[in-house]
Amino acid sequence: MNELTPRATAGRAIFATALLTLAAGCVTSRVENSREGLTGIGKGETVVIMAKSYHLGNETEAKYITCIENALGRGAQGLRVIPRKQFIDSLFPWFEPRTAPSETKSLPKLMERPGVAARIREQGVRYIVWLDGDTEKVAGGGSLSCAAGPGGGGCFGFAWWQNASDYNAAVWDLDGLESAGTVSADVSGTSFLPALVVPIPLIARTQATACKGLANQLRAFIVSDEFS
Amino acid sequence: MTATLRNLLSGTLVAALAAGCSSNVTLDPPTIPEPLIVKIPMSVALRLPENFESFEHEEKVLGRDVWKIDLGRSNAVFFEQLFGYMFEDVIIIDAEEFAGGAAQPAFDALIEPSIDAFEFAVPVQTKTDAFAVWIRYRLKIFDRDGDLVANWPVSAYGKSLTTTLGGSDALQRAAVLAMRDAAALMIMKFDDHALIASLADPGSTTAVEDDERAETTAQAVANPGVSDE
Repeated sequence: MNELTPRATAGRAIFATALLTLAAGCVTSRVENSREGLTGIGKGETVVIMAKSYHLGNETEAKYITCIENALGRGAQGLRVIPRKQFIDSLFPWFEPRTAPSETKSLPKLMERPGVAARIREQGVRYIVWLDGDTEKVAGGGSLSCAAGPGGGGCFGFAWWQNASDYNAAVWDLDGLESAGTVSADVSGTSFLPALVVPIPLIARTQATACKGLANQLRAFIVSDEFS
Repeated sequence: MTATLRNLLSGTLVAALAAGCSSNVTLDPPTIPEPLIVKIPMSVALRLPENFESFEHEEKVLGRDVWKIDLGRSNAVFFEQLFGYMFEDVIIIDAEEFAGGAAQPAFDALIEPSIDAFEFAVPVQTKTDAFAVWIRYRLKIFDRDGDLVANWPVSAYGKSLTTTLGGSDALQRAAVLAMRDAAALMIMKFDDHALIASLADPGSTTAVEDDERAETTAQAVANPGVSDE
């Protein structure tokens, strides 16, 4: 029988800890879309990702919007995405939280304002995607306590929490000044934090999953011209 | 001796815990983008109050910390930029010089902004990750004879989440967003509230109004039953 050397034992312990740390908590995800019109995107046409106004109570995180922008633009099939700050500044003050159009029927009037249509055309913007939703902690429990003294420290206990990431993307086609449809991602997951001297986080990355799922579906929705 | 030292140390510790923390935020003067609008063909004089050159505000969160924001001359820069974009000609008037009987420059209207209220809320108060800033400006508009023609309160709001920016940056960002919100509101509603068109050079205004009236009448005759919104 082979006996493990202290070095091999330590190596196995580190490996097991790393594996547990990397293991994600349990996540369930649902991504859907609802199409209202034909889509498709030409060479030189771009997309802008915007957050619905906080004047309307929306709290979509800036980090999530940046994640969607990056994910949509990434890869060989990536779309050309105009950074939202650049777009908002270039059309100031017509896309500020107070003034941004909240429905497509406001678009014709907006386009009649001096310089607006030309500025949008210059940037090749074909689609505006309006994001709304956020990530919230919906439940949690358990108990965890940590202590430290001259001889060392440690944590004992078990904590858990459940996050829900619910996001909705409304796609507006500026070619026809109409809504092309919506894509939504609902992701929920439970994270665990058991601690026996060392806490071992098992994190359910709901927001990252919602970002990846929504971005993939959005790209397919915009590029494809099929009703689904 | 040891007991005295222990008492001193514990006293210091209690005092430090009771004092809480204090956060100071300094706002760099904001730059608002050039708006996509047609300039109003008027010459306006802008008289800024003294506190626009140096404005500070402090919020004490009950039982917690103290937040202080120093806007410096952000308000002065903001109004100079905004009205520079909105009007064809803007003259900045020195309040003391004007009151002292100096020769009055020619203008169509005099605008005197002030701050009625400035408030902010930190995440402990909003129960979210957000900093929120409310500003209520007041615009007094005088005609060229010095008569008050409009007195317009402008309420603006800005909100920024802490997660990516950190506390100080988020508060600064919320203040800038509140100023941009005020700018958007003033651009959209200026004429409705400030009746600025009525103060323009009477000759040119009448001509424009006459042209518009004639056009509206012509359209009404051509399309009976279609009314303007």
